[in-house]
Amino acid sequence: MSVKSTISHISRRGVLLGGAAAVAASAGLRSRPAYAAPDKVKVQFMYPVGVSGDINKLVSTMISKFNAAHEKIEVEAIYAGSYDNTEQKVITALGVGDPPATWLPINSALQTFLGLDALADVTDKAKKTDIYQDFIPGFLETAVSDGKLYGLPFQPSTPVLYFNADAFKAAGIAKPPVTWDELLEVSKALTVRENGELKRWGLTIGGGWHDWIFECFCRQNALVPWTKDKVLFDKPEAVDALEFWVKLVKAGVMPPASTWQGSANDFMAGRTAMLYHSTGSLTNLRTSSPFKVDVAFMPKNKTFGACQGGGPIMIAKKQSDAAIEASWTFAKWMTSTDVQSQWGRDTGYLAVRKSSWETPEMLAYLKEVPQAKVALEQSAYAGAFLQVPGYHKVREYLKSALDRTLAGEIKPDAALKEAADNSNREIQRLLRRRS
Amino acid sequence: MATLQDPIELSAPATSRGTLLALRTALRRNWLHFVLLPLMLFWISPLAWIIITSLKSRTEVFDPNAGILPAVLQWGNYPAAMAVAPFGTYLINSVLATGGILVCELITITLAAYAFARLNFPGKNILFTLFLLQIMFPIYATFLTNFVTVRELGILNSLPALIVPFVASGYGTFMLRQAFRQVPTELADAARLDGCGHLGILWHVYLPLVKPTLIAFSIIAVVTHWNDYMWPLLVTNSESVRTLPIGLGLLAKSDSGADWTRLMAATVVVVSPLLLFFVIFQRRFVDSFMHAGLK
Repeated sequence: MSVKSTISHISRRGVLLGGAAAVAASAGLRSRPAYAAPDKVKVQFMYPVGVSGDINKLVSTMISKFNAAHEKIEVEAIYAGSYDNTEQKVITALGVGDPPATWLPINSALQTFLGLDALADVTDKAKKTDIYQDFIPGFLETAVSDGKLYGLPFQPSTPVLYFNADAFKAAGIAKPPVTWDELLEVSKALTVRENGELKRWGLTIGGGWHDWIFECFCRQNALVPWTKDKVLFDKPEAVDALEFWVKLVKAGVMPPASTWQGSANDFMAGRTAMLYHSTGSLTNLRTSSPFKVDVAFMPKNKTFGACQGGGPIMIAKKQSDAAIEASWTFAKWMTSTDVQSQWGRDTGYLAVRKSSWETPEMLAYLKEVPQAKVALEQSAYAGAFLQVPGYHKVREYLKSALDRTLAGEIKPDAALKEAADNSNREIQRLLRRRS
Repeated sequence: MATLQDPIELSAPATSRGTLLALRTALRRNWLHFVLLPLMLFWISPLAWIIITSLKSRTEVFDPNAGILPAVLQWGNYPAAMAVAPFGTYLINSVLATGGILVCELITITLAAYAFARLNFPGKNILFTLFLLQIMFPIYATFLTNFVTVRELGILNSLPALIVPFVASGYGTFMLRQAFRQVPTELADAARLDGCGHLGILWHVYLPLVKPTLIAFSIIAVVTHWNDYMWPLLVTNSESVRTLPIGLGLLAKSDSGADWTRLMAATVVVVSPLLLFFVIFQRRFVDSFMHAGLK
């Protein structure tokens, strides 16, 4: 017994020593604390990578340019994963009361961050500049709630209709479909079956984000399927849109399910002749397809309609006035005419300023890649995407409703009613908790 | 106590031993090769696809007419992928973080497992239940509390932040405790008669006998932490302290479909250190599994 007790003393001491060593080691390895020189305001910028592996290099180049041009401000760019990862990282930092100065979420997260009381209101600052005049209104609107501006749109995208121009030519179709009816007809003409075995779909709607594309279809039926505190998926316009999707599936021209990456791969492999996908995919689809890729407006029903992915640069509320001012200077610079023109050409995102589209470089680019212009023209009909509290869950409810309907498990109206009820209950729960 | 063998005690080492037995039988009876060969090809096909795709041009990846092999080997994909992020720094950080976690874990789980397997102290069962509970919490559930802890330690955005939350492992403690309990107490008693204390017994008797378990656990731990993405992303901001999976994340872009060729090139680079490590030490791993005198 005595042996036992001595040894356990030793091991206990060992543990303590080990602990002390670990703390000492961590203190030694600790990176330098985040103090900047006293005259410099340090601004963190957390951003996701949506479209290209080179985005972090593009962003770092932009940041070093900004830092070189601004003596009093030092911006640190922090890559934060996907949109969801970025949101998690920012919310975690907000949770411990230490948010980054600026970040770039998807625009749907606006109400989420407002719910956390995290955003600086920049309406007055913006009114002193040409922002309200020069920004494309549909883009600016994605950062507005109750008439107040909570950020500057930086990288908007919308879904567009991609089509295989070679397949169109071979089928003798002169121009892309303009209405839903034409879309159905063209899809039928482009679907190829040999001995009952499918060789090519006429049309694929990129899955995973099909709720985003579904909102576009609702908007084409003249319905914005949400307000800031509820969703309207059960309105007749939405049901009609989903019935149209069912019609496409029943006609055998569209697969009932797909994935976001898989649908792009199918398009590049010629397994679908048309594809609803993000403008952000333009460069990838154009350079990776062995045929000519063209782009058209999403066909209209009552009207043209689209809604936006991508997001605005948001500024944290809980920081010093100097830091907010520095963040604002940074956000303004990132959305200035030339920077946006360059960013749009490098990535495929849509430049947010009217003046950016008139720069000589942009005009030359549009001559070379006229497809890029289509999304801009379509954005005249575009609005924000599902800006409701708890949009993550709402998206899942809607996607599940769409999937089950297309799989033939449930009728469109019942599915959308259920999704709307579940979503509204979730939104109400969040709103109650907020108040 | 020592002869008590509940079924769980056998499960972890048994599976690895099972495959090895199968391998040995396969060598004796050649016909089994015909069964195993297709399985091996099946197992290796994702790896082959990764390597082949990493050498293709972008249009070849999904073009059904392009054939399986690339027409021209696109070695340029590798430098292009490496240019996306400082992968060299990431590699060093991955090695340091994974290695640091493994060393700490091996120390803590050995001591804890010994205490749970061979010592008697009040509250032992409750404590052990708590250890088991820790296994059941998904890592995401503890992110926020871990984040707060790491922040209060003042080590956010540094390598220790990647290591500290993982220095103990409920799973490893459990696994090793079960292995320790299989070691006959007579061996420990003999060592004690020879003048060994607890640490001596642990070092000279228990650890050599549970080597297969230690190795199995190390493999699991290394693979888990080598591939960890979300935690490093959450607690690091600077490129100087980030790890390889974050570099991969840059190529698996969400809006426009992955950049397959470069993503696969980067994947090859990220997995090769692990693969190399296992190939080099394969003989040692297999030996230690075979020589484990545990029945």
